[in-house]
Amino acid sequence: MEQLKLPPIDYGALLPMLILFGAACLGVLVEVVVPRRARNAVQLSLALLSVVASLVAVVLERGTRTITIGGAVAVDGPTLFLQGSILVLGGVSLMLIGERSIERGGVFVSQAAVTAGSQKDAQQAGGQPGATEVYPLSVFALGGMLLFVAANDLLTMFVALEVFSLPLYLLCALARRRRLLSQEAALKYFLLGSYASAFFLFGVAFIYGFAGGIQLSVVHEAVANPQRSQVLLYVGLGMVAIGLLFKAALAPFHVWTPDVYQGAPTPVTAFMAACTKVAAFGALLRVLYVAFEGVRWDFQPVLGGIAVLTMFVGAVLAVTQTDLKRLLAYSSIANAGYLMVGVLALNDEGLSSTMFYLVAYGFSVLAAFAIISLVRDPDGEATHLSKWAGIGRKSPLLAGIFTFILLAFAGIPLTSGFTSKFAVFGAAVEGGQTWLVIFGVITSMLLAFPYLRVVVLMWLSEPGESTPAVSIPGFLTSAVLGLGVLVTVALGVVPAPLIDLTREAAQFVR
Amino acid sequence: MTSFVTAATAVDPTLETFENDIWWIVLIKLVGVFALLLLLTLFTINYERKVVARMAVRPGPNQVGPKGWLQSLTDGLKLPFKEEIIPKTADKVVYFIAPVISATTAFTAFSVMPFGGVVNMFGHQTALQLTDVPVSVLVLLACSSMSVYGVVLAGWASGSTYPLLGGLRSSAQMISYEVAMGLSIVAVFMTAGTMSTSQIVAAQASGDPVQLFGFEVTAPGWYAVQLLPSFIIYMIAAVGETNRAPFDLPEAESELVGGFHTEYSSFKFALFFLAEYINMITVSAFCTTLFLGGWRAPAPITTFWEGANSGYWPLLWFFGKVLILLFGFIWLRATLPRMRYDQFMRFGWKVLIPVSLVWILFLAFFKVARSGAISDTTRWVTTGVVAVLVLAIAWGWPSPKKPKQLSIEEELHQRPPGSFPVPPMDLQVPPSPRVRRAVAERDPVSKEV
Amino acid sequence: MNAVSTGEQVAFWILGSLAVIGALGMVLARNAVHSALWLVVTMLNLGFFYVINSAPFLGFVQIIVYTGAIMMLFLFVLMLVGRDASDSLIETLRGQRIAAIVLGIGFAALIGTGLARALGSTFTVGLDKANANGNVEGLASLLFTKYVFAFEVTSALLITAAVGAMILAHVEKAKEDKRDQVTRMKERFRPGNYPGPKPGPGIYANTMSVAAPARLPDGNGAERSISPILPVRELSQAEAAPKGTEK
Repeated sequence: MEQLKLPPIDYGALLPMLILFGAACLGVLVEVVVPRRARNAVQLSLALLSVVASLVAVVLERGTRTITIGGAVAVDGPTLFLQGSILVLGGVSLMLIGERSIERGGVFVSQAAVTAGSQKDAQQAGGQPGATEVYPLSVFALGGMLLFVAANDLLTMFVALEVFSLPLYLLCALARRRRLLSQEAALKYFLLGSYASAFFLFGVAFIYGFAGGIQLSVVHEAVANPQRSQVLLYVGLGMVAIGLLFKAALAPFHVWTPDVYQGAPTPVTAFMAACTKVAAFGALLRVLYVAFEGVRWDFQPVLGGIAVLTMFVGAVLAVTQTDLKRLLAYSSIANAGYLMVGVLALNDEGLSSTMFYLVAYGFSVLAAFAIISLVRDPDGEATHLSKWAGIGRKSPLLAGIFTFILLAFAGIPLTSGFTSKFAVFGAAVEGGQTWLVIFGVITSMLLAFPYLRVVVLMWLSEPGESTPAVSIPGFLTSAVLGLGVLVTVALGVVPAPLIDLTREAAQFVR
Repeated sequence: MTSFVTAATAVDPTLETFENDIWWIVLIKLVGVFALLLLLTLFTINYERKVVARMAVRPGPNQVGPKGWLQSLTDGLKLPFKEEIIPKTADKVVYFIAPVISATTAFTAFSVMPFGGVVNMFGHQTALQLTDVPVSVLVLLACSSMSVYGVVLAGWASGSTYPLLGGLRSSAQMISYEVAMGLSIVAVFMTAGTMSTSQIVAAQASGDPVQLFGFEVTAPGWYAVQLLPSFIIYMIAAVGETNRAPFDLPEAESELVGGFHTEYSSFKFALFFLAEYINMITVSAFCTTLFLGGWRAPAPITTFWEGANSGYWPLLWFFGKVLILLFGFIWLRATLPRMRYDQFMRFGWKVLIPVSLVWILFLAFFKVARSGAISDTTRWVTTGVVAVLVLAIAWGWPSPKKPKQLSIEEELHQRPPGSFPVPPMDLQVPPSPRVRRAVAERDPVSKEV
Repeated sequence: MNAVSTGEQVAFWILGSLAVIGALGMVLARNAVHSALWLVVTMLNLGFFYVINSAPFLGFVQIIVYTGAIMMLFLFVLMLVGRDASDSLIETLRGQRIAAIVLGIGFAALIGTGLARALGSTFTVGLDKANANGNVEGLASLLFTKYVFAFEVTSALLITAAVGAMILAHVEKAKEDKRDQVTRMKERFRPGNYPGPKPGPGIYANTMSVAAPARLPDGNGAERSISPILPVRELSQAEAAPKGTEK
């Protein structure tokens, strides 16, 4: 028996992930060692520190273009850019997750195992400090996302998918208020998510049958020069795509999104809306651009149809919503459609504009959910639209910020929403997908309606008895809000630096 | 105990040996193993009863057959002819399948057990082992994990509370101890470099020369010596795995009547009974194979007698070792009281599994260090750091705070007014007049005084 | 070993049919435990398939881990839930059953025909090469070279799962909730509490209702025999009537 040799490992390129996984394991140990009083502070600082350290590692590695550790991980421009953006957005979400001043004990339940609605539950809802396991779980999720966008073979991608999904399923179930809804959301997410993962894995098996390997470069070669029946390729591609489209919440695989966004604790919703989207689209970009570029003429129309369907479903159903979190969920579905338009451009411009869109949208959506977490009545967050009537009179600053964010979503010029949509549509036209752009513009106009409805409701109605109070945001939430608004403005006014950065990064290694 | 068991006449089978077997040889071996297991079961039941009886200073079965050795045979013959009672609430199909699963898996496990080396059977060279595959140890583990189904389904299908509780207990116990057992076997895999039973026996044939302080010492080949922690963990886990005393909580008769087979009678009960004893024999035989050198003769014998491992002689050594292990099982049952369930589970999860994990880690380090993959300084530095860490943890481990011991007076003083009355502390109980009278009657001397 | 031997074909048709029957049984069985058992049949057959396809390690690990451990835990839960707990058969979504059947059969047919067309004339290649150093060794070398990162990252998955199980299932008891035998005895003998056993239903009882107090020998009811959470109410005629033994 010959000696096994480890493949050459570029530890520098893996460092961002290793830091996060290490910090998460450390966080689990902190649960054991550190006394309960100090735990929240320690965990939060550990998580934030690890994210910052990881970000520094990404920045230091900015010149790296390599495939390492036996071909499992590809570190290239898109990887590093997406990892960086996941880390920035994740760090900001962690600040939201760490907010403990708006509600006594934070938004997370202290003991999730206590039966919802029981006497013990009422006791712990009163102000027992929330579970601190959420920090290691979030860091695990972030680590998985970093790997997901860097995975260079489908198996590693699958493992990464599970690594970042599992903590998210768990985080969804940990809301302090409306626990049954939160648990239901987690269960739905888990069941549908594992179903999608199964599809992904099944598809990987098909592609292995087709290409005789699961490394993206091997698949690329096999696509260019097929040795086996193409049926395997198409079925495999379809199934892998289902798995990825589910995570990215594209219609018709979007049905989980509104329920989960509504049920999950708001910081977790923000985390999912910002970071999961980046990770899912990052992997989708890599799979489509690196492995399956050879069959672009076959999948472009199908995925284009899905993009159109997604935009319409998101825009039309957003109109009918009465719950703000659900409304944002449908808006995020529609935005996934726009992102898909960028992806389907299938050129460098498409890649860079999609990455730009992801960052811009991520910051806006984080700010939006931060505001939602501030508007509260005695039952917790007041997410019903009717409760927001007249809130502009009560607290004009907050309503002003929210209006600005909504206008950014709607794509008003001088906001990041406009520049990013412009970039994506421009890339699509250049890539010969003008029909997608036409549908994109139509749905954008449709989608502006629900946003404007909220704006009108906030400013032009009289505040009633039941109009909830607006909590004073703590330091962390204020920081998130400030950052979100700042970036939304900055990317609307001077988008050039970031666009240049994405253009520099827009080259996959194979 | 150094063993130089490298008899030239012992022929180790390889995987090809089994591929070349003719069908009727396989058939003979199959029937042979089946018959052997039945006979061994009958023997073991008597063996157990007699040993337990001796330990309790009573004769044990001594009526049927020579010195009572046919007692289990008559019992076994009687059992199928007893009335069969199926509870009304039973799930008929599952109730029927459960004992079948138990017995089938118990028999199947023995198919990969090596009883001896290559022998001449009616002119054909074949190994004394039904079959072997590259992963035959996993076959055994698979059988033991499937046998849990027999127990758990029996408990559930009976449609009654005690069996259900017994079934759940027993399956939880078997699964937990299977983990420890699997981990203890990992060390054997690492040392032998194979998962096939016959090759594990072959790997234990010769000692392992080690350089120790400049001398060449031959470490004994048996893994029971080389991997002592694994051996101990395996033995404990084996007792838990087979639901034998002191870990026989599933059938704790004082709590659960009879455990999962409370509602079973007649032939189905006989199958469970059979399965339990075969399982006991299996883990003993497995232990012999993995840790005690398998069918090879113990150390000094081959020095005097070259042919001890040739031909059919290995059967003698193999079953000798198995019977000694079985005696251990019976000894435990005769002497130890039953454990409490929570203590037992805690022991399995919090002691056995961590200990085996640490041991595997240590063994892996040891093997890497010995293979020369790391330099001497690294080896010593790592060893030193680990030792210091372990000592530091042991030293810094918080000891539980003992509550202040109150004297009885203080405790009484602390009781709230109106508490339940207790007798005074200085109560002098006068001796009973009846006792005094009895003593006086028994002792004539004191009467005279 | 490129062509499929007769023995393998026979085994395939037997095991394959069993696996499909198991899967169908799992879907169609009314009783949840039966359903789980059918799934066990399917998983076992899959394990045998792996063994036949020259992957003995995978096959037995499938049996040990999936059938032996995972399905067993699943059965545990089902059994603790209770044998009589059957799902309500009211459909919340109208026509979902038909839709699911049609879609399921359609999907199976699509995949089946696709595979049959694609792989009809394919032979196995590379099996001997993959198992050249032995099956276990081959797997190990893949796990520790090409897929070492995926292998190591799986540990993050396991840690997450363990943490998740703790979060969702473990209730930490507060110190004041932990009552050992000493505190319980102290409570029992505290002034105002009657330390003796509570009165039983009583041999003078004339009803089996738990809501009726036990009778003391003087004919009065022993109030302490009723659970404090039961509302006090008058018994109906039928309830109060003496109960005979069952014939």
